[in-house]
Order: sequence, then structure tokens, then C-alpha cells
Amino acid sequence: MSTTTLEAPVEAKPKQKVILCEGNEAAALGVALARPDMVAVYPITPQSSLVEHVAKLIADGRMDADIVDAEGEHSVLSVLQGGALAGARTYTATCGPGLAFMFEPYFRTSGMRLPIVMSIVTRDGITPQSVWGGHQDAMTVREVGWVQVYCETVQEVLDTTIMAFKIAEHHDVMLPVNVCLDGNYLSYGTSRVELPDQAEVDAFMGVKDVNWHVALDPLRPMAVDPLTGGSSGRGPSTFVRYRKGQCRGMQNSLRVIEEVHEEWAKRFGRSYAPLVEDYRMEDADYAIMTLGSMSGAGKDAIDEARDAGKKVGLIKIKTFSPFPVDVLMKSLKNVRALGVVDRSVGFRWNCGPMYQETLGALYRLGRHVPAQSFIGGLAGADITVGHFHRVIEATEALLSGPASTEPVWLNEND
Amino acid sequence: MGAYNTIAFDAAKCDGCGDCMSACANTKVGADDALKEAPLGGTARSRIQIGGTAETGYELALCRQCGDPKCVTVCPAGALGKDLSNGVIGWDAAKCVDCLLCTVGCAYAGIALDEATGRVAKCDMCEGNPSCVKACPHDALKLVTTSRIYNEVGGWEDLFAPGLAGCQGCNTELLMRHTLRRVGPDTVLATPPGCVPGMGSVGFNGTTGTKVPVFHPLLTNTAPMLAGVKRHYKRIGREVTALAIAGDGGASDVGFQSLSGAAERNEQILFMVVDNEGYMNTGMQRSSCTPYGAWTSTTPVGQGAGGVHSQGKTQDAKNLPLIMVNHRCEYVATASTACMEDLYDKLDKAIEASRRGFAYLHVYSPCTTGWRFPTDQNMEVARKAVDTTFVMLWEYTRADGLHFTRPVDDPLPVTEYLKAMGRFRHLSDDQISHIQSKVVENLGFVKQLAHGAKA
Repeated sequence: MSTTTLEAPVEAKPKQKVILCEGNEAAALGVALARPDMVAVYPITPQSSLVEHVAKLIADGRMDADIVDAEGEHSVLSVLQGGALAGARTYTATCGPGLAFMFEPYFRTSGMRLPIVMSIVTRDGITPQSVWGGHQDAMTVREVGWVQVYCETVQEVLDTTIMAFKIAEHHDVMLPVNVCLDGNYLSYGTSRVELPDQAEVDAFMGVKDVNWHVALDPLRPMAVDPLTGGSSGRGPSTFVRYRKGQCRGMQNSLRVIEEVHEEWAKRFGRSYAPLVEDYRMEDADYAIMTLGSMSGAGKDAIDEARDAGKKVGLIKIKTFSPFPVDVLMKSLKNVRALGVVDRSVGFRWNCGPMYQETLGALYRLGRHVPAQSFIGGLAGADITVGHFHRVIEATEALLSGPASTEPVWLNEND
Repeated sequence: MGAYNTIAFDAAKCDGCGDCMSACANTKVGADDALKEAPLGGTARSRIQIGGTAETGYELALCRQCGDPKCVTVCPAGALGKDLSNGVIGWDAAKCVDCLLCTVGCAYAGIALDEATGRVAKCDMCEGNPSCVKACPHDALKLVTTSRIYNEVGGWEDLFAPGLAGCQGCNTELLMRHTLRRVGPDTVLATPPGCVPGMGSVGFNGTTGTKVPVFHPLLTNTAPMLAGVKRHYKRIGREVTALAIAGDGGASDVGFQSLSGAAERNEQILFMVVDNEGYMNTGMQRSSCTPYGAWTSTTPVGQGAGGVHSQGKTQDAKNLPLIMVNHRCEYVATASTACMEDLYDKLDKAIEASRRGFAYLHVYSPCTTGWRFPTDQNMEVARKAVDTTFVMLWEYTRADGLHFTRPVDDPLPVTEYLKAMGRFRHLSDDQISHIQSKVVENLGFVKQLAHGAKA
């Protein structure tokens, strides 16, 4: 496995239409290109314009899908579960309180191995009341068996949304996928986007086959999700077999995500690090870690630090669930100090969730690496190049001094 | 099989005159000469026997021309058989070995020893024009066409496995088997947590109790999940019936939002609620469909504090079917297993309506375990609910509005219903008055709706 495919060789680029659009529209265009049979929608800030774009694409005949305007997120995902069990390719989007309301069927989707794709236009948790971006919603459900990938740019949102269907429906995976795009910064951020050709996307997607493993179909009747478990008979082993299968699907997805990104790069000429991106990590003594749209400002800060002679690099996580421990360990191989920047809070360990996950990977390294948790960008706050310089300086200090068990709150005095 | 004729007996109209027995004996053996004293001074040569007294009530002993005749099953000589052209069970004198096993097999005393001949004798329906019926001066005997349910549905495939684990005396298994027989194999069945999957319809650890595709939705998302299935089949051009058999709790409480949403979107599904007025599968807790005054495990009866006794549920039941009428569904109806013909008519209409939009069928289902009555009383309790108008049977379509399908002209007092169950044993006079007044109020309300529909 390679830790970066940013410099992957690119074949002759197919001609692609160039447009200007926001991240939510890019996601909608990606959905249309992936040709789902069914989408279910319920509006919530900052996701709303995404489902509005989807509805308009269908109304204009640019997308052929059954759209269900459900009465809430709980029903949104429930309708899609039924559709998927009948053989439909399915899509929705939500965030924040909507994701919380959806949690009951959300938990079940991965257990039934339904390859539903759902964008999370990430939003901070309430309370305190807020309608702005932050990763708290997606982070809160990171332990529920969905594959979760985070995008950095509007173009990556479009491309990843299409790739997500192929990853989810891979027979070795068969799991739902969240494409996370930062509320405000990516949802409303407008940029130049190359629009792939439909025929090329069709060839990339291949033949749809979403309910070969579990179906509600009178032509092949089966009981879906009968009672299992308990302490006797076949109960315990049956339940364990299902759970182990989920875990195996999650681990398989690491390989499939890499393969799908590689094929995408070959077909469309745009490559992204599928799991973990190393940015200027060659000969780096220490590193900072980022997730999502903050990474752009982080890379600018790294460039300036490098210009100033500092031996620092940046590690960006794209695939957060499953956590790509093996690949991350390669990135961390020569690192002697680490600063991890989270856009959400881990209440149990008084740190950022990604920081906490990374500590687990560091343990496997077998040597002590001082690390510091930074929390910034909550509830729509910006994480600027200036903030990242503070992160770089504090991480550099770990090379010669002690690490704190307290997180650094980047926007505390903004 | 077509519908057959049979002889029905109304004990309330019989005065024990014995004219039927005389007519039968005259027709069959040319005389009403008795070998010995028959009950009521009639004749032992008659194939119909009336027993009992005016005090105890009169009872009928007569061949029912059963669809599943035990006399035929036990006959070792092949002397008894059902004529599929007219439904009559015939006796072949040449084959009979006079063992009399048939008289033991029959639960109705419908075949008996004729001591004059030393052989068995039974009703042969007088070639479709029974003398006994013609002779009855009180209309207590009638020639009626037997239930099409028995004759038609009995031959359709039972799509549930035998041996479901329902409580003894539960009528939900009856309802499930009849419903799925009628709906047929091109069906996707949703059974959310409750008694229906609790008795094994979805299955345990790799086994299943159902022969059509079946699934557990969440308690909260039956309607939208089923709608998703139906929508995709519609999109790809396949005709599949989407059927939910759900409990009242999930429908009226925690799943109500999603039910209402699916009805508003007019999803093409048939949503059947089996209303046993509480969370009976989980141990008889209160739901919003539990009636006022009822004991449940979360509205128990006790001494309370400060002299305020706890006397069961303190609120009236939510009327879910009327709420569904206000969604202007394709079809809404209430039904009872005490009135299977009525239920079947509604099932037919609901299935047909579900091809156009949302169909809702609310079936009142007495719970032997949770309502606390003997296991052989289920139909009787269901019947009393209808006869007191505690439960009203009606149907609604947008075109014709609401109308009663089984109007009760002279309702019994509600106490006739309440006293049949242990869950109402503690009721005070005030509570009974409240329930009676609510029954009258509800009946008046639905009558207004029915009247408005015709106006």
C-alpha cells in the first residue's frame, strides 16, 4: 500500500466540462452521475441546498430517480433500506440533528450490509445552539460500522461521491458509506469543478448488483434479519458470524478504497490519496494531522514553515472509518512529535477524537511519540494559516519539552 | 370449490316444538313413529335432534357437512365422503361395516345410530330443500350459503409455517394465516417487533416461520421501509403486494410519525394494525390504544398514596383508524375476527386499494393473556365488543365516505363486554359510567361521520 498517490501517473485526460459550483451542488451532480434509483430527502442546514439541487436535477429530467420527500430523517433512511432490499441504488444526505434523529435506522444499515451512500454535510452538535459546520455529528457516529471519508475540496466532493457508490457496492465490502463534506466551508464554498462525462462514469460504475446477499423479493423469498443471539443453541455463533462479517467488510474496504481511487485517477485524471495523504513528509522530524477542508490552510502553513527551514510535514486523513492504522503507521515511521487538529470534541478523553484514534496507532509503532491535541473550527469557526502556525510551533516544542494532557483550543481567544 | 348450502340454527328463536324432527322422520322413513322416547317427545328416527329446555336453552344436533369432516377421517371403510358438487357428506350403506367410529369422531352428534335399522343415519340435506327448514314455524332453522372463507380460502396455500408460538387462545395466528392466504405469494411482508414476529413469523437463528419474503422493520419505521420496497418494484415494473402486519403500539405511539408520513405520501402499501390494546408481547404495557380503566402492567391497580387509588389507565384510547380517515387514504376500515366475512370483504378491498395508494385496516384483536380471560373466550370477547359497540365496524373511501358495515341497532350495555375480562375487574361504578358514556359518544361521532358521508 502506498501512503500517497498524489503524484500517480496520469493518462491522457478525457475531455471534461468545466463549471463553477458550490460543494452541495457538486455532491448533487456526483449523485446524478452515479445514477441511483431512489433518493430520499429531508432538508436541514447546511445540507438543504444539496437536496434542493438533487430535486431540481430530477425535475429537469437530468436525473432519473424516484425521489421520496419523507417526513423526517428517520423515514428517509428507512425508505432507502426498503429500496436497497428490493435492489435499488440509493442515496441521501443529512447532518447534525438530522443524523441524530436518523440514528436508529442508521445503526441498522451497516448490520444489514446495505450499500447506501449518504453525504454528511458536517455540522456541529447542539447544544449550545448552532447551525454551523464542525465534525461533531459524523464523529459521534464513527463507531457504527459505516465507511466514512472526508473531502478537502469541492472537486473531491464530486469525485468521491461517485466513488462512494462503487466502494459501497463492492462485493467484498457491502457497507454503507458517508461522504463527509464540511458544512459552510465545502457546502457553500464555490470553486471550479470538472464534470466527468456520463458515459465514462457509467463504464466506471459497471453493473449494479446491490441485493445479491440480502433481498426482499418474492422470486427468492427469505426472512431478512430474523432474531439471533441469546445464550443457547446457534444463537451466539450466529450473532458473532454477522458481526465478524461486518468487521471483515470494514477492513476489506481499505483495499477497495485504494483500488477505486486508482481506477478513478486512470479514467478521469484526478488522483487523491485514498486513505492517508503525506504532504511534504519527506525527511520531516515532526508532523501535524488534519481532516477535511482545514487541510488547505494547513498545507499553506507547512509551505511557509518549510520556507523558514522547519522540517515539518502534514498528514491528512481522508478515510477516517475504518481507521487506516497500517498506512498511518508508515506516515508516522520517522516522526518524533505530532500535533493532531480536530474539528470536534472527544468528551471522554478531553481531546479531539482523531487525536484519540491516533494514539492507538502510535502504540502500535512501538516507540513513544509525544503528541498534542488541538481543537479548532467548532461551530463554523475558521482555522486559519495563523492558527496552523501556532499548531506547528507547539508541536515543534514537543521535540524538546513535555506534552500536555490538555487540548489546545485554537479559537478560544478569537 | 364453490359455496355450499347448510342449515343454520338460531337458538333464540326455537321454542322446542319438535316440528323439524317430525318432518325429518316423515321424509326419511315415512313415519314419526318413535322406537323410544326422544328428547322433547319428538322422534328418534329424525336426523335432526333438538335438545335442552326452555330454561337452559335449546341445542341442535345435526350434521354440519364439515369442510374437514372427522367422521370421514375416522371411517375405516371409506363409507363416508364429501360430495364436492354440493358439499354434502354422503354415507354408503354398502361399504359401511357398522363400527360406529364416525359417531365418536363427530363433535356435533351429526351422525348417530338409528336403532330401528341398527345402522348410522345422518342428514343428506334433502337434495337441497330440507324438510326440517320448511317445517320450522319460528324461523329458527334457515338454509344458508356457507362461508366463502371456508370453501374458497381453505384451499389456498397457508403461507405461514405450522406451529407458530402464539399464546394459547390467541386469534392473531388465525388472522395472519387468513390474511396471507388471501394476499398470496407475490408479497413482501413487514412485521415490526410485537406479537406477530414474537410468535416466530420472521424466525429465530436461521429458521423462519413465513413462506414469503418477510422482515423485521424497526418498531418505528414499518411504513416507510415497506414503502421503499414497493416503490422500487413499481419502478422496475413488477407487481408486488406490500403488506404490514403491525401492532397498535408501534403504529399509534412511537411509529406514528412515519405511519402518518407514508399515508400522506399515499404510498402503495396495505398497513394492517392488529390492535390488542397494548404492548402485549413485551409484557402487557399500556399503549395509546389501551382503553380507559384497563389494567396493564404499567397502569396497574393499587392502593396508591394519600388515599388516591390507582385504577388502571386514566385516559381514553386514541382512535387510530379515525385519524387515518383524516389522511384521506385510499381505503380505511375497522374489522374484527368475530366477523370474518366482514373482515374478508375489507381485506379484498384493502388489497385492491393498496395498488392505488395507502390502505389501512384496523383489526380489533382480544388478547387472551393481557386482557385476562379464559383461552376459549377469544371470539366471544371479540363478539361482545362489537355487540356493545365498544368496537364499531365501518369502512371509508374518498368516494363514498364512511359507513357502517355491521350496524348494531340495539347495543348491549357495555358491562356485558367489560365483565368478560379480568383487566376491567376493578372498575368502580363511576369508571363504568365513564366508559359507557364514551361508547355512546364515540358511536354518535362515527354516526355523524357516516351520516355526513351520505348527505
